[in-house]
Amino acid sequence: MASVNGSPDTPLSGRFARLPEWARPRESERRGLGSLRLAETTILILFGLLLAVATVNDVARQTRVNHRLIADLHTWRVASGHNYHNLTVYQDLQGHTTRDTVCGNVSPGAPKERTQVCVTLVGATVKGERDITGGFYLPPLSENEPARRYACFGAAVAAGSCASGGPPAGSPPAPPVRLGLP
Amino acid sequence: MAGGVGSTNGARRLTAVAAGALALVLLAATLEIVIDGAAGHSPLIPKAPQIAGWLSSIGEHLGFRVFLIALVAYTGAYAGMLALARRLGSRFAIALTVALHAVVFVGPILLSTDVFSYIAYARMGVVHGVNPYLHGPQSIVGDPVYHYVGKDWKTVATAYGPLYTLISYPLGFLGVVGALWGMKLMALLASAGTLVLTWRCARTRELDPKAAFVAVGLNPLYVIYGVGGAHNDLLMVFLMMAGVSLTFARRDAYAGAAVMGAALVKATGIALLPFMLLSRRKLAPLIGAAVAGLACALAAYLAFGIHGVDVVAALNRDAAFVSTDSFPTEIAHLFGKPGVFPVDHTLLKAALVAIVAHLMWRTWRGYDWVAASGWTLLAISVTSTWLLAWYTLWSLPLAAVSRDRRLLVAVLAVQALFIAHQTAPLWAPVS
Repeated sequence: MASVNGSPDTPLSGRFARLPEWARPRESERRGLGSLRLAETTILILFGLLLAVATVNDVARQTRVNHRLIADLHTWRVASGHNYHNLTVYQDLQGHTTRDTVCGNVSPGAPKERTQVCVTLVGATVKGERDITGGFYLPPLSENEPARRYACFGAAVAAGSCASGGPPAGSPPAPPVRLGLP
Repeated sequence: MAGGVGSTNGARRLTAVAAGALALVLLAATLEIVIDGAAGHSPLIPKAPQIAGWLSSIGEHLGFRVFLIALVAYTGAYAGMLALARRLGSRFAIALTVALHAVVFVGPILLSTDVFSYIAYARMGVVHGVNPYLHGPQSIVGDPVYHYVGKDWKTVATAYGPLYTLISYPLGFLGVVGALWGMKLMALLASAGTLVLTWRCARTRELDPKAAFVAVGLNPLYVIYGVGGAHNDLLMVFLMMAGVSLTFARRDAYAGAAVMGAALVKATGIALLPFMLLSRRKLAPLIGAAVAGLACALAAYLAFGIHGVDVVAALNRDAAFVSTDSFPTEIAHLFGKPGVFPVDHTLLKAALVAIVAHLMWRTWRGYDWVAASGWTLLAISVTSTWLLAWYTLWSLPLAAVSRDRRLLVAVLAVQALFIAHQTAPLWAPVS
């Protein structure tokens, strides 16, 4: 990182004069630092390439995730028979698996305002859809928390996903969603 | 001779046409984002009081696709403007920058809820008598600003410097909308000040002031994310540039005080001080910084108690955050890891220490201290596991007036990669 001003070296007197030349402070950079500058530039370019490759890889990774999420949303719509757009996808961010849970209202309304049916999806995307392995229901205005889940079906039963006893009073019917590809 | 004059005129005309076309792209992209943003109900626009209602009936809801196309178009036009910068008229460059700032200023808050955290901390102090260094906005659930604070920040006490918190306190009296306009105005004025100082510093260093001005003033992350989000980083950058400008004017004590002021807005501003001291090798900047620091520490102690002085604890807390846009996270993904681990934080800190030590040695031996400061701020943002768009602005004005042109290339490259990383929804839009 050589200075480009090319100003002449200025001898420093006083406080730092007793230091060896290589340790003395300078007003401007000494000429002939080309090799240091080359080394720095080389490191910068290599690091820049690493960042560029990492960025492209991450965009590709995120694009794959988005394709998976698109399949998740499509699967929920086909399985539920509702073409709603305000759905919530919960990814397995702690286990880092591709198991996603998609929740949406069972009847028209603002997001999470009605009873929600949630399905858990796993596996590869086949013709824009993924396998439903299980799911559960949530009361209106609820987040996806074990204490709020009820009417578990499929793998969610074995996993003990429903901590809640039964549906809240006045809930609409909660039939299990058909498992597998819809 | 006549042919030479003719070809020169032709080249000028071509430059003017190209610059005009690029300016239209910049304005159109910014207008698109602001007008569609004003329509509300967008994942890119934070929940906010309706401050740009008169624009809301013009546009449509701002989706990721439109936003990213506008951002990429803006970035392309900015690259073109950088290439033409030396041949642009000064008035044209200034007028375009003013126009872009004005468009963003009258629009809604873009892309970040941070400004509502600023307002919440101010209202906590002046309306509710709650210490923002001890409690998060959750302590004022009944306040109208609470609903606008980002959900990740509701329980978090302020990490900003006491100078900024004190400056923001009067705005807390103005209500949420008044404070919001106050924050927007502060960001606008800080940006204007930074641009004036960038111009002045570039001229002092016999660099092209227009090129430096364009590099900062038209920058997409600076205009859309920085000014658009009314981020206090702009105030920190302004004070940093004041320090640089005062150093060039040989007013070392004031320069030290200005840099300390930057650090008391946001702690990263302190990065300039060691390089300034190594370069100047005088006591004056140290004394200026110490006096400013002590005065503010005393005011902070009186206003907030000991917690207002302890910015290190807040920094340590924030250093542990991880964002998906950070380069360490991207590199972890590249090597098949799900994300960064505590050991990575240690390695990153070690790398940062090594970089800073190298730069300090180089500055001692005559390297441009402004460039060394810029490299340090860039290294902080690149090694941080919590990277946000406006963090890449810290080093931008320094790079624009640095004697090492590699720094500007590096800053712009990092910004380009940041923007590229946002584009995944373009290739696979989830809806």
